[in-house]
Formats: sequence, structure tokens, C-alpha cells
Amino acid sequence: MNRTMKLAGVLLVAVFLIAMLFPFFWIFITSFKSTGEIYGEGAFRVIPREPTLQNYLTVLFEKGILNAVKNSFIVAGTTTVYIIAVATLCAYAISRFEFRGKNLLLGLILAVSMFPQMIVTGPVYNLFHDLGLTNSYAVVLPYSTITLPTSVWILVTHFNQIPLALEESAKIDGASAFQTLYKIVFPLAAPGVFTTAIIVFIAAWNEFLLTVTLNSDVRYHTVPVAISFLRTQFEILWGQVTAATTIVTIPTLLVVLFFQKQIVSGLISGSVKE
Amino acid sequence: MRRMGWKGFLFLLPALALIAVFSLWPVLQSLTYTFFDYRLNNQQKSGLYLSERFNADLFNETAFYVGMFLEEDLPSMTDGADVEEAKRLLADLQRISGQYSEEKGVIRISKEQKEEIEQFYKAAKPKLEEWNRKYALKNGENLPLLLDDIKDSVIPSNFVGLDNYKKAFTDPRVGTAVWNTVLFTAVSVFFEFLFGLALALIMNKAFIGQGPVRTVSLIPWAIPTAVAALMWGYLYDGSFGVVAKIFEQVGLIQSSTDLLQSPGWAMAATIIADVWKTTPYMALLLLAGLQNISPSLYEAASIDGANKWQSFVRVTLPLLKPSILVALLFRTLDAFRVFDLIYVLTGGGPGGSTETLSVYAYKAMFGQTNFGYGSVVVMVMFACVAAIAVIFVKILGTNLMEKN
Repeated sequence: MNRTMKLAGVLLVAVFLIAMLFPFFWIFITSFKSTGEIYGEGAFRVIPREPTLQNYLTVLFEKGILNAVKNSFIVAGTTTVYIIAVATLCAYAISRFEFRGKNLLLGLILAVSMFPQMIVTGPVYNLFHDLGLTNSYAVVLPYSTITLPTSVWILVTHFNQIPLALEESAKIDGASAFQTLYKIVFPLAAPGVFTTAIIVFIAAWNEFLLTVTLNSDVRYHTVPVAISFLRTQFEILWGQVTAATTIVTIPTLLVVLFFQKQIVSGLISGSVKE
Repeated sequence: MRRMGWKGFLFLLPALALIAVFSLWPVLQSLTYTFFDYRLNNQQKSGLYLSERFNADLFNETAFYVGMFLEEDLPSMTDGADVEEAKRLLADLQRISGQYSEEKGVIRISKEQKEEIEQFYKAAKPKLEEWNRKYALKNGENLPLLLDDIKDSVIPSNFVGLDNYKKAFTDPRVGTAVWNTVLFTAVSVFFEFLFGLALALIMNKAFIGQGPVRTVSLIPWAIPTAVAALMWGYLYDGSFGVVAKIFEQVGLIQSSTDLLQSPGWAMAATIIADVWKTTPYMALLLLAGLQNISPSLYEAASIDGANKWQSFVRVTLPLLKPSILVALLFRTLDAFRVFDLIYVLTGGGPGGSTETLSVYAYKAMFGQTNFGYGSVVVMVMFACVAAIAVIFVKILGTNLMEKN
């Protein structure tokens, strides 16, 4: 009985792994197929008959996928830096100070994280249009709707785990509130801050709706938007789509490989209570 | 805990400012849009005009051309009375436009000014038509059209009260979108929960390869949804997609083109893609909950003679309940707001069979530039999301907040 259970478990995990990885595997091999093979009898062949790098050369040098990767790094990097700064201050105050309307503020932050993004997009589009901010990196500002609430939430959880005694002794030694935050709390909270930063980075990297509406200019397209534009109404060049997908999955893969502990801890402290 | 002084408020200020400008203000603004017939592609409706306005730019430009063209055409008129009349119109026009020569953009004007402009239009229009019949005027084709622009410089109020809402309640497309959204949410969250729980239970039993499984789980979650949607778009492709081919061979669908071309299967296809992308996320959340359950409870249960199933139902599920509810809340809200996946994978098609509320709202706002009506669709979604959140928070009780 126990053995069969174990076997069933292993089998289930195997099925799961195959289901998760198969799409990536198929995209990967297709990216090396020639156009003739993709759209011909070779469509379902596992090993390309004549492997070619043509798809990669096209997306890299003609479709400007590298520019999209650059934009994504700029946008996601900027968002991460300023959101972390703003969220740290806010979360610290929530965690450490007593003030009126604190529950209201927490409720508000939770509510904002539940807003449909679409409700923000229309007015922000008009605002950016009037201020001449469309087609610019200013798109990182409205990214705050999707990243700030989660960040504050995760950081409050982390700050609450840091004992107050350390700060009290800093205060006795004459440190100001800002000094306490930067010299005592921040180093102790560094793992939590880092976790939050990765979650924010991934969220900003993956954002689609705001960029597609605010930045119609191809020069400002981020990875998700640029890739979605490879598929047009009239032609779907799967070879290029698969090559581009393979290229842009690499950064994500690296982040996941190196920071999976932080990601998991971030996901959990952002949602599950211990 | 210290009481917060004014310096403490400085800690909160940046976050409050961002939330106010990019979250709260847009929601109020969207709500305002719903009461107007607000269309960006229509000169008379491209703003929120509670009362009448006047488009000074349009008027000044038009008045200039009307004057110029009319003067050009004066020599072609032979009847002296008509020439007199035309000269009088020109003088009128000059007098009226003199008042606005310094104005720019959309402004407010008084009732008298508005009547003055409308009277000029009423007087000039029949005359121009008459002269057009009588003489071969050089600008005969353009003048009446230009004159219409003078009338259109006066912008009527586009406040429509609740009309947009009324329209939405009778719009079958809204009904379909609500149904599609609910169907997508219910089915995908159900399967994600089922698979996620199974996976979490397996991963909770320490076994070799837990690390790789976790890594693999995170990749679909971490890649952009738009990219995932495009990947699946290829796998589902009617002619060259391998998943479509497999479904055909297994006999699930008659022809591989059915997968994205038939309404029922298109919805199933988007749900499969969503389940693929978010099951691992669900599993990780539930796994965290499982790991908090003390092993001693299971020991106690087995000493009391409980079998595996009994200890799952009596120990695991009750203790996992908070984690389950939070995971379901997050996933339900995410699924209800789904946009990227459907927009990129099916675009809402075929024939609107996968069009969810957010996709319809997006098409209304940015496809037809109808911000008024599009905002109503958004509000419908907002109301549903709020209702879902309230229900979950009620069930969860206050324990979502008590930690802080």
C-alpha cells in the first residue's frame, strides 16, 4: 500500500514536470527549425532536420528584441529601486509607529492591490497624454499600482519580525528615526527587502497593459509587448516568436535559479499568514 | 510602539502620494467618465463637458477659411443683392470672430455669444446653398462643410447621467463578458486548486528532487503572461501546433483547427494555459501552509487510530483553511481580472466567446476610444471584484489583518 502510494506520487510528479516543461521544450526546438520545416511536414518533428540560427539572427538584428530587453531592464530596474525606497519607509512607519487611521491605511493598501488594473489605465492614459508623457519611461510611475501594495505588505511582515529592543537602544544612544531605519533596521531587514525587490522586479518585468496603452512607440516597448507584436493580424512567424521567447526566457530562468528561496518567501509572506 | 509625530508622517508621504495619484484618483476619474458620452475620436465629445463649451481653436481656424473663401467667391456672384448679403455675412463673421481671436482651446461662453454664433449659422447656411445652385462658385463644395464646423464649435454638454449604465444592462455583449469571466474564473481556479493541493501534499513529503520541482514550478509563474500566451498560441495553432495535433489524434477534437476556432474549445484552451501558468503558484502557497502544521498532530491522529484519509480531512484541511482561503482569494481576483492571456491568445474570439470584462473594456476604451462606455464595463468588473473580496474577507474574518 505504502509502496504504491509512493509510486503514484512519483508518477504524479513526473507528469507534472513533463506538463510544465514540455511547452518550453517544444518552443526551444522549434526556434532552431527553418521556416519551411515549421510550416511543412517537419512541424511535428522533434529534432530539426536542418538546424538553423536564422530565427535568432532575425529577431536579434531585425526585430530589435534586444532593445525591448534593454527597455525591460530600465523599466523594471527603476520601478524596483523607487518602489523599494517608498515601500520601506511606509512599511517601517506602519510596523513601528502608532497612529490614527493605521487600520484604514492597511485596508486601503489591501484594497488597492485588488483593483482591476483596467480601472487605472484609462485616466492614466489621459493624464499622460495631456502631460506629454506617453512614449517615455514615465510609465514606471503608474507601475506603483501593481507593485506598491504587495511591497508594503511583504515588508511590514518582515519588519514585524525584527525585535524592537535594538531600535530602542539606538534611540537611547540618540539616533533619529531616519538613522535608526538606515543603520539598524535596514541591515537587519535586508533579506526581506531583497525578497521584495525580486518580486517587484518580476512584476514590473511582466507588466503588459500599461506599456501597451501608454507606450505605443516601438522604441519603448518592453519584452512582453514587443513579443506580442511579433504576431500580427496577417502573419504569424512562429520561428521568430519561438526564438524571441527563448531569448527572453533566459533572464527569467536565471532569476528563478538564483533567487528561488527569496521568491518563495516573498510569495508566502505577501499572502499567507503564519 | 511610539506615537507618530509629524516626522513619522514623512515616512508615509511618498507612498500616500503615489497611491493617491495612480490608484485613487484614477478610480474616481473612471467613475466620472461613466456619466459622460466621452469619446476621444469625436471633437465634440473628447472632454467631460457638464455644461456647454466652445471650441475656440476650431472656430478661429474655420472662421478664417470661411471668410477667405467667401471673399474669393464674391466676384463670381452677379446679382447685386446677393453680393450685398454676402458682404453683410462677412461683416457679421468678422465681428463675431473678433471676440475670440485671443482665445485658445475649449472655453466657456455666455448664452448670448452662443446664440449669436448659432444665428449666424442659421442665416448663412441657406444662403450658401442658394448661391451654390445659382452660381458656379469656386469653393462651392467646401464652404457648406466649413460652415458646419462653425456650428460644431459650440459643444453641447455630453453629460448623459445614467444612460451608459442603462445601455450596459441591456447590452448582450456585457452579459456574455460577465458569463465568460465567471466561467473562466470558476473553472481555472477550481483546477488550479485541485492540482495545486495535490502537488503541495506530495511536495510536503520530503523526497529527493524537491528542489528541482520547486525550480520548475516557478518558471511558468515567472515568465510574462503575454509570452506564455504566445507560446500556447503556437502550441494550439490549427495547422502546426503540437498540442492541437495531439488533441486531434486522441480524439478530443475532430480537426486541429477546432481548438482555437470553436467557441467552447477556445475557452477550454485559455483555461488550460492559465492552469499551466498558475498551478505552481497555488501549490507553493498551499505548501507553505502545510509546512506550518506540526507533525505531532498527525502522530496524535494516528495513535487515535485515524487512517490517512481521516487525518487529511480532520487535521490537514481544517488547519490549512486559512492558507486555502487566502490562496483562493488571490487567485480568484487575478483570474477575474484576466487580460494579457486572453488578449494575446485569442483576442476575445472566436466571435466573442472568450471575451472577458477586461478585454471588452479595453476594446471599448482603446479600440473604439469610447471611454464613457468602456468605463462602465470597468465599473461592472470593479463591483464584481469588490463583491468577491468582501465575501472572502468576511469568511476569513479579521485574521487577515490581525498580524499587523
